Amino acid sequence: MSEVITRKNLQDLVNAWISRGNTAAGPVFVKPDVCMYEKLSSGERLALDSFVHPTNSIKEFYFPRHEKIYTYRFKGQKLELDDCEPARTPQLILGARPCDAAAIAILDRVFNWDYKDKFFNLRREATTIVTLGCAEYDDNCFCTSVGLGPTAEKGSDAILLPLNDGEFEVRCLTDKGKALFAGKTQTSSQEAKPLSGPENRVDIELIVAQLEKNFEDPAWREIALRCLGCGACAYTCPTCHCFDIVDEGNAAGGARVKNWDSCQFPMFTMHASGHNPRSTQGQRQRQRIQHKFRIYREKFGETLCTGCGNCTRNCPVELGVLNTLLSLREHALRSSSEVRG
Amino acid sequence: MENVYKPELMEVVKVQQHTVDVKSVRIRFLDPAAAEKFSFHVGQFGMFSAFGAGESTFNICSSSTWKDFIEFCFRRTGKVTEVLWQIDEGDVIGFRGPYGNAYPTDKWEGKNLIFIGGGIAMPPIRCAIWYALENRAKYGDITIVYGARTVGDFVFVDELDEWAKHERVRVIQCVDPGGETPEWKGEIGLIPHVIERSSIPADNSIALVIGPPIMIKYTLPVLDKMGLGKRDIYTSLENRMKCGIGKCGRCNCGPVYICKEGPIFTLEQISQLPQDY
Amino acid sequence: MIEQLRQTCRRLLEEAKVNVIIGYGQSSADGPAFPIFITKPEQVDKLVWNDKCYANLTTYLTRNDVKALGKPAIIVKGCDERALVVLQQESQINREALYVIGVACDGVGNPRAAKCLVCDVHRPRFADEVVGDTAATDAGGGRYLELGEFLKKSPAERMTYWMEELSRCVKCYACREVCPLCYCNRCIVDKNRPTVIDTSATLKGNLAWQIVRAFHLAGRCVSCGECVRACPAGINLALLNLTLARAAEEHFQYRAGIDPQKTPIIGSYSLEDKEEFIL
Repeated sequence: MSEVITRKNLQDLVNAWISRGNTAAGPVFVKPDVCMYEKLSSGERLALDSFVHPTNSIKEFYFPRHEKIYTYRFKGQKLELDDCEPARTPQLILGARPCDAAAIAILDRVFNWDYKDKFFNLRREATTIVTLGCAEYDDNCFCTSVGLGPTAEKGSDAILLPLNDGEFEVRCLTDKGKALFAGKTQTSSQEAKPLSGPENRVDIELIVAQLEKNFEDPAWREIALRCLGCGACAYTCPTCHCFDIVDEGNAAGGARVKNWDSCQFPMFTMHASGHNPRSTQGQRQRQRIQHKFRIYREKFGETLCTGCGNCTRNCPVELGVLNTLLSLREHALRSSSEVRG
Repeated sequence: MENVYKPELMEVVKVQQHTVDVKSVRIRFLDPAAAEKFSFHVGQFGMFSAFGAGESTFNICSSSTWKDFIEFCFRRTGKVTEVLWQIDEGDVIGFRGPYGNAYPTDKWEGKNLIFIGGGIAMPPIRCAIWYALENRAKYGDITIVYGARTVGDFVFVDELDEWAKHERVRVIQCVDPGGETPEWKGEIGLIPHVIERSSIPADNSIALVIGPPIMIKYTLPVLDKMGLGKRDIYTSLENRMKCGIGKCGRCNCGPVYICKEGPIFTLEQISQLPQDY
Repeated sequence: MIEQLRQTCRRLLEEAKVNVIIGYGQSSADGPAFPIFITKPEQVDKLVWNDKCYANLTTYLTRNDVKALGKPAIIVKGCDERALVVLQQESQINREALYVIGVACDGVGNPRAAKCLVCDVHRPRFADEVVGDTAATDAGGGRYLELGEFLKKSPAERMTYWMEELSRCVKCYACREVCPLCYCNRCIVDKNRPTVIDTSATLKGNLAWQIVRAFHLAGRCVSCGECVRACPAGINLALLNLTLARAAEEHFQYRAGIDPQKTPIIGSYSLEDKEEFIL
């Protein structure tokens, strides 16, 4: 026995949610062949199939690409600061992939490391995430290699599991999820078949050991040669959270803003003196992988990667995390066999 | 809910120019409640705002024993410091902090202190010197070696004379060969050489060494020969920072976040860090 | 054909004529192709050539990490080669210190990419040697058909279109990094004294960035289409660049990267240049 909901009722649920003055987001086909998570103006735009993973992630909705953290006004020699509050409007993300939902729980750790980031916390509090289980995967997916899977529940308030007839089984996981679906589902004898994800693609424990043992690994130079140093991987990644803080204004005043940034940009670690500790792309790629698989794990016990594959899908030169990890392993095996050789 | 990125407003009390491109600034909290709540330990740093230009990271170079104000020192280098260069008494800037770990002044109690600074690296040492002098009984002999490229590159020169007047304090000032003026009375030579020939006793001592990487590189072997262990030598690292509180992912050196777990490290700790700074 | 390519590369490396081959590789026969850098003769079997070889490899010639590898040989399609012409005109590469292996190409993508349907450079024209052959004939025109369709919309409709499209831009700069002609060591968006273009990915910041980039490429963009392929938000940046390319052709009879002897229009003038728009 399970609770099920029709596609139509899901659309109605979203419309009712929006009509109450709340905001909603989910996968939308912005072009015939481009699916992205976007703000929804109505439930009809919501896409619940025909894609493996949208080209972006849901972090935009609780960790926006740009936000004001406070404003300032010059008054002669004096100054006035006004605090900024993120909107606490309840927000529904319907149709998140499990690899996206899991990220919010992972990011919670750094955004509350001693200092509590209210922008993240207030937005997270206001957000209900309904995850869409994955009926298919592609060559870029590797969620199962990082402890997740097509029906992983981490970070989700409820999960929708596809049924054969196009409807969905609903499993409510938290109070928020239960509140959302109360009275909206029907009991049914149908139950979703278990979904299998990709087979394990890389041994993460071996990667972590390699990263710990060999920081200066010469493999990085070769691996990163084709990397162009853009931010496509970081910005479409559910867990990448590096940011920049800049002032934007004029003589009357302005705002201090927080924007997405990427460790892949050459200017990321540039000192005012002109010294740059990470002046080659190899060092920058190394930082990304070290941060995701070793540093974040050491600090918070979580891997900063959910295996969604967006980095590879969006990389103009087919790099991305999985390919990098596989190259790292290949290099390790090659040099150890050379030593033994 | 508290906004951890929002600075406190500070009024500029005094601006002092030290060299052609270095100034120090004394600031006080505009909000009395914030002033009341505030305290820090020497060695910690803050993020200082020039609104409209941005924030920069500077060590708090005043002693933690001084109430009612804090001080920072900067070189006119980039966008933010260019605006800071223009500020005057009465202007308002921002301050967030204190951040980072601090000098383990309690661990240093009972020891002789050797302070070695190069050029504009004196300010982060200055706060430790004043702290030690204000708690004189807790510390042993104090030796201060302060070197600069030329006579015009020293900062806080008037305080150097004051320090020398204290009990069991020895001040050695030196300029690079060629940097002296005819009136120069101090030492002439590179810091490592000056240390070598100054016969500084190193028993029961710790050393705080801050300066340009090349100065540190050549000073360390001298300290090693003097008998100072890797755990007895301290320095302050720096890296580009933005949030200062461990979130923006920028300042880490391998697995260590300079803003949270530094910037003060012993030589032993640094030798375990990867070359990522 | 692939054997000929590999032979050529093997010979170049064995005879130390070059230090690195910049070409295409593949992890598996049906997987995607991607740029690879071959430094040893025995690695040449990694080189592939097929209709998945999208990347414009010339963008690597101005990157420091690649320059550090030494004298390169580079594999170019006809469209990529146009970028080589411009790079040489702008003194960014030393043609003598580069070995160019052209591949005759009948298009990439399945179905063919938009640029391939109007391509008139199926056979590279200035390579040191050309590998393979193609039955594809060079298109006589139609370069701006896609743009023409778009320009049928009213200005208001077009503005709505761009506001919607550019609201999805996240300033990842993939468009800039894949572009062979975006080679500035310090891009205008990275300048902060003063800040010319907001780094924020707001609509205002995005409009400023994309329009300025299009103008910085005016008369230089070779329509290789990489920026469109690279954009993770599915924004059709080609419409911006084609507008300026068409203006260059219409008003100055100039197409970037076609004729190395023609003086680039940006950075030069002639007394015949029209002036109605400034007077």
